[in-house]
Amino acid sequence: MAKTYDYLFKLLLIGDSGVGKTCVLFRFSEDAFNTTFISTIGIDFKIRTIELDGKKIKLQIWDTAGQERFRTITTAYYRGAMGIMLVYDVTNEKSFENIKNWIRNIEENAAADVFKERGEQLAIEYGIKFMETSAKASINVEEAFFTLARDIKTKMEKKLEASNPGTKGGYQLKATETQRKPTSWLSRCSLL
Amino acid sequence: MFEKAIMSENHVSSSVEDLIEDGKNAKTVHCMHCPSKILSPKNGSYQKIEFLLPEPRQKKDLGEHNEDLKEELLSDFWVVEDMYRFENMGFSHSVGSVKYLACADCEIGPIGLYRTDTKCSYVAIARVKHS
Repeated sequence: MAKTYDYLFKLLLIGDSGVGKTCVLFRFSEDAFNTTFISTIGIDFKIRTIELDGKKIKLQIWDTAGQERFRTITTAYYRGAMGIMLVYDVTNEKSFENIKNWIRNIEENAAADVFKERGEQLAIEYGIKFMETSAKASINVEEAFFTLARDIKTKMEKKLEASNPGTKGGYQLKATETQRKPTSWLSRCSLL
Repeated sequence: MFEKAIMSENHVSSSVEDLIEDGKNAKTVHCMHCPSKILSPKNGSYQKIEFLLPEPRQKKDLGEHNEDLKEELLSDFWVVEDMYRFENMGFSHSVGSVKYLACADCEIGPIGLYRTDTKCSYVAIARVKHS
């Protein structure tokens, strides 16, 4: 059977425990169902379908729940990741300070795998995107994932364009996005 | 009387039959609890197969050996061979060779299961909505 989508992106949610990564993990629905069975086992990943510029994009989003210490998140977890969303809680300063530890962890574990193939060094200065989200109020959560997916898609299409200069495709994004830096972006989940 | 009820369960009920077209889901599959879209038409194949699925709501204390776990025997499923055919779906952590399926939005579940050995997903027709 033919594929029913144009792109498949694997995304990771990373950050300290208790910052609300799970709430960022697409709980768009206002009336979350408190199912004791599922919440006991926990969600491993979710598949989401979004549409960007007429392209159907499948997102596979992984949560780190249960292995939130830097050392427990190793290369295997990052394998194949095309985008990483860093999450901290605006009311928890420690979780913000830890973001740089997470970035270091990504450098150490994901760099070889995710970026080696492109022959790029993982930049120390990140072209980080920032979005304040509130899953409770459904603010920006969806937009955050759309932005990340858009960045990855743009990167892929730029690659295609570079190998095929005659065609004009894609769209102009903000200046920070045109830099040849790994797509990384900071999202904060405001738990108000 | 009891036997009769069992008998009728062994056949595809007329209400389920209405949902099938060429062996596939004729309608869009939605969550029962929220508007989340789970599966587009023709992406799941009907299969009569029996699985015991835990009930969404359980007692907080399931006992030392889960002896208080409430389960329901279900026999009508949409089989989805490629998980990326789902519009939206949540997958639980593995329990043995199974991951339970939950609505990606409201997380109601299990609405089916995913077998890690065959990589097939089974959506319980009785636990979703069709429109």
